[in-house]
Amino acid sequence: MSAITEHANSGQPPARTAPLANRLVSTRAGGEMIKNYWDNLFTARERGATVVWYNGAAINPILQAAGVEWCHGEAFGARLAAMHLERPAQQAGEAYGYINELCSYARTTLGCALLTKKEAVDRVEIDGSPNIPDKEVLAARLPPPDLFVNAYAGCSTGQQWDEISYRVFDRKLPLFKVSYPLLWGNKSDAGYLRGEEWDNASKYVAGQIYNLIEFLEHQTGNKFHWEGLRESMHYIKRAAQLRLDALELCKAKPAPAVFWDWVASIAPINFLPGNQALVDYFQGVKTEIEQRLQDGVSALPNERYRLAFDGIMNWNKVGWLANKFAERDAAVVCGRYTHNSFWHEPHLIDEDDPILGMAQHYLLCPFNHSAKNLAEQVLRDCETYGIDGIVFHATRTCRSATNGQLLLARMAQEKGIQTMFFEGDVADESFYKDEVLQSRLEAMLETIDVQRTRAA
Amino acid sequence: MDQAAKIVEILGELAEVAARPGAYATDWKARTGRKVIGILPMNFPAEIVHAAGALPVTVQEDDAPITYGRRLLHEFYCGYTRSLVDQAATGRLAPYDGIFLVDHCVALLGAADAIRFELPDMPVFLAQFTASMDETTTRPQILGRIAELRERLEELCGAPIEDQAIRRSIGAYNRNRSLLRRVYELRRSGLIRLTSRQMQVLVKSAMVMDVDEHSARMDRLLALLEAQPAAPSSLVRLHLSGHFCHAPKPELLDMIESCGATVVDDDIYTGYRYISTDVPEGSDPVAALAGWYFNRNTNVPCSTRAQMTVDWESYLANALEKSGAQGVIVLVAKFCEPHMLYYPELRKEFVRRGIPHLLIETEHEGLALEMLKTRVEALIEVIRRPALSREMA
Repeated sequence: MSAITEHANSGQPPARTAPLANRLVSTRAGGEMIKNYWDNLFTARERGATVVWYNGAAINPILQAAGVEWCHGEAFGARLAAMHLERPAQQAGEAYGYINELCSYARTTLGCALLTKKEAVDRVEIDGSPNIPDKEVLAARLPPPDLFVNAYAGCSTGQQWDEISYRVFDRKLPLFKVSYPLLWGNKSDAGYLRGEEWDNASKYVAGQIYNLIEFLEHQTGNKFHWEGLRESMHYIKRAAQLRLDALELCKAKPAPAVFWDWVASIAPINFLPGNQALVDYFQGVKTEIEQRLQDGVSALPNERYRLAFDGIMNWNKVGWLANKFAERDAAVVCGRYTHNSFWHEPHLIDEDDPILGMAQHYLLCPFNHSAKNLAEQVLRDCETYGIDGIVFHATRTCRSATNGQLLLARMAQEKGIQTMFFEGDVADESFYKDEVLQSRLEAMLETIDVQRTRAA
Repeated sequence: MDQAAKIVEILGELAEVAARPGAYATDWKARTGRKVIGILPMNFPAEIVHAAGALPVTVQEDDAPITYGRRLLHEFYCGYTRSLVDQAATGRLAPYDGIFLVDHCVALLGAADAIRFELPDMPVFLAQFTASMDETTTRPQILGRIAELRERLEELCGAPIEDQAIRRSIGAYNRNRSLLRRVYELRRSGLIRLTSRQMQVLVKSAMVMDVDEHSARMDRLLALLEAQPAAPSSLVRLHLSGHFCHAPKPELLDMIESCGATVVDDDIYTGYRYISTDVPEGSDPVAALAGWYFNRNTNVPCSTRAQMTVDWESYLANALEKSGAQGVIVLVAKFCEPHMLYYPELRKEFVRRGIPHLLIETEHEGLALEMLKTRVEALIEVIRRPALSREMA
C-alpha cells in the first residue's frame, strides 16, 4: 500500500518525510527576521504607531520614510498559508460571502480584515462562522489599519480587493491607489526595459509615487524623510545585488541552491526594512553558496534534471514540493517569481533620486507583462541556467499568475524545452492535485530522458 | 400586418443580428467597403471607432463549445474570455479588422494577449484606462489613452478622425441610448411587457449594428410599443443584477420569467448598464468621452472600477425603489473576480434592507435549469409571502 493510499484510508495526515533537498542553512536567519517583523507589527497599536495596510508592490521603503508601520496583505496571507493557519481567515471570508473561486490571497486577507475588525470592535456581519477561535488565532492578530495604500500591478483584482477592504472597514479610512499599466507592447519598439511605452509607464507611475508621498504626509502629519528613503534604498540596492550575484552562482551544475531556497528569501527582500541587517542576510546567503561551490556541495545529491518553475508560489506546499522534485533528482533552478521580481534590476535605482527606479521595479512585477515580454525573460533564464523543462503552476484562483502561461509553454516548446502543468493554488490547498503533479512530472522527466538519448 | 406582428418582425430582425454578429459584420463590410473593429467590454467608447468610419462591434460570447481555445487559456477563466479565445482559435474572429480594448480586467487582458498570439496578423490594441477613479492623475491618463486610440484608428482606417466626426458619432450614440432607455422606462412603469430575452436582443443588437440602422428600427419599434395598450401585471417584479461583459443565456431568463416573475429592470452589461449614460455633447469631444467614462460609473456603479465615492448597493436600493422591483436576482458569471469580491457588500445591503435576493452563478457550458428553477420558485414564494420574507431577511 502506498503512503498516499494509507493516508487516505486512515484519515490521518501523512508523516512528514525528511527533507531530500539540501536546503540552505543561511535562509533560516530570514525566517527569524520575518517572525520578529510580524511580532513587532502585532504590537503596533500598543506602541501608538500608525499602521498602513497595503497590497502589491514593495512600497515599504516609502512607508518607512513616511514614519508609519506597514502590513503587506499578501505577505501575511502567504505566511498563514505556509504555516497552514489560513483556514480561520478563509472560513471568515466564506461566511461573509466570498466564493472559493475568488483569489485566495484576497479571501485570506479579507478574512483577516474581518477577524481583525471583530477583535477591534466586536461587530462584524459574519453569519455565525463555526470554529473560529477569536483571541489566539494568528489571522486575527493584525493591528487594525489607519489607512490603506493599494499598489497592485498586473492584477485588476488586486486593486479591487483593497476597495473592498476599505468597505469592510466602513468606508471611513483613507485609501490611496497606485495604478499600473500592463506592459503590453502596442508598438514595435516595446520590450523588456525598452521602448516608448516603458518610458511613459515609468513616468506615470513615478508621478503617482510622488502623489502617494504627499498623501502620506497629509494623512500622518509627518514630514516625509527623504534622506531616510535614500538610505533604505541604498541598503535595498546592495541587498538586491547580493541576491542577484547569488542567483548567478546557481548557474553551476549541479546547482548549489535551488528555487525553494529562493522562495525562502522572498519575504526579506519583499517587505523587510532597508537596513544593514537586510544586506547581511543576503551576504550570508551568497557566502554559503560560494562555500558550497568551493566544497563541491550541491542542493540535490544527484541532480539529473534542471527545471524552471513558472507561476506564483503554492504557499501551502513549499516543503512538500521541494521534496517531490528532489526525490526525482529534479533541481528546480530558477523561477519567474523568484528571478524576475523583487528589486531584480538594481541598476535602475539611483540612490540619490530613487523614485523613478522604484516605480520601474513596481511595473516589473512578474505578472505585469504581456506573454511576449514574459517569454523574453523566461526563455533567457532557461538558456542562462541550462533548463531542460518548465513546470507551470496553474494557480487556480490567480489569473494574473496564469495569464500567458499556455502561450509561454508553446514558445518554450518551440525552443525544445519540455513543459508540464500542475494544478494548485497560492493559498488554498484544496485546489492542489498531487496525482496530477506526480504523473505529469514523471512523464516530463521521461521525455527529457528520451530527448537526451536521441541527442546522444 | 397588425402591430403585434410588426413588433415581432422587428425583434426577429434584431435577434438575428444579436445571435450572429459576425454575419452582420461581414455583410456590413461588403455593403460599405469599410473596416469592422471588434471591441471588448465594458468601457470602450464605441463613438471613436464610428467616427473613424469603421463599425464598432462588441464581440459577444457565442454558444459554441470551447475546444481549441483550451490551449490558450486555462479552464478557470470566465466563459466570456474562454469563448473569445476559442473564437480566435477557430477562425470566428475573421470578420474583424482589429480588436481594441480599454478595460484592465486581468482575465480579459489574458484573453486579448492570447488572441494576439493566436492571430499574429490581427491588430490587437490595448489603451488601458486606469480603473481607479479617485486619483487626480486618472483623468489626464484617460485623455491620453483616448488620443492613442484615435491615432491607432486613424492608422488602421487610413484617414484622420476630425473632432466634428466624433461629435456626430456622439450624437448618434446618445440618440440610440436614449431610445433604448425609453424602452426601459416603459417596462419599469408597466406600460409594455417585453420579456428579458427580448430586452437582451435590443441591447445586444445595439452593440453590433450600425448605430443609425439600429436607431431607425428602434424608432419604429417604439412607435409600435407606445401604441399598444398598457399591460398591467400581477407577476412578481424582479431586478436582474450583475453579469458583466457578456449576456446571460436567454434560456435562463426564460426560466426566471416562467416562475411567475416579470423582470422590470436590470443593471447587467447587456442591459441597462450599457445604455445608462450619454456622452456630454457640444464640448471638446475627447474630453467628453473621458467624462462619459467617469459619469457612467457614477450613474451605475461597477465593481470593476475602484471608486470610493459610489456604491453599487446604494444604486441598487434606489433602482428597486424606482422600479418597484420586489426582489433581486444577482447573476454572477463564474470566475468573475470583481463580482465575486463585491457580492458580499451587496448581500449585506439586501439583508439590511430586507430585500429578497438570490445568487445564481452562470457558466458558458450551460446550467442545470431545473435545479435553478426550484431556487427561483423559492425566491418568488418568499416575495409572495411577506411574513416569510421578513423572517428570511
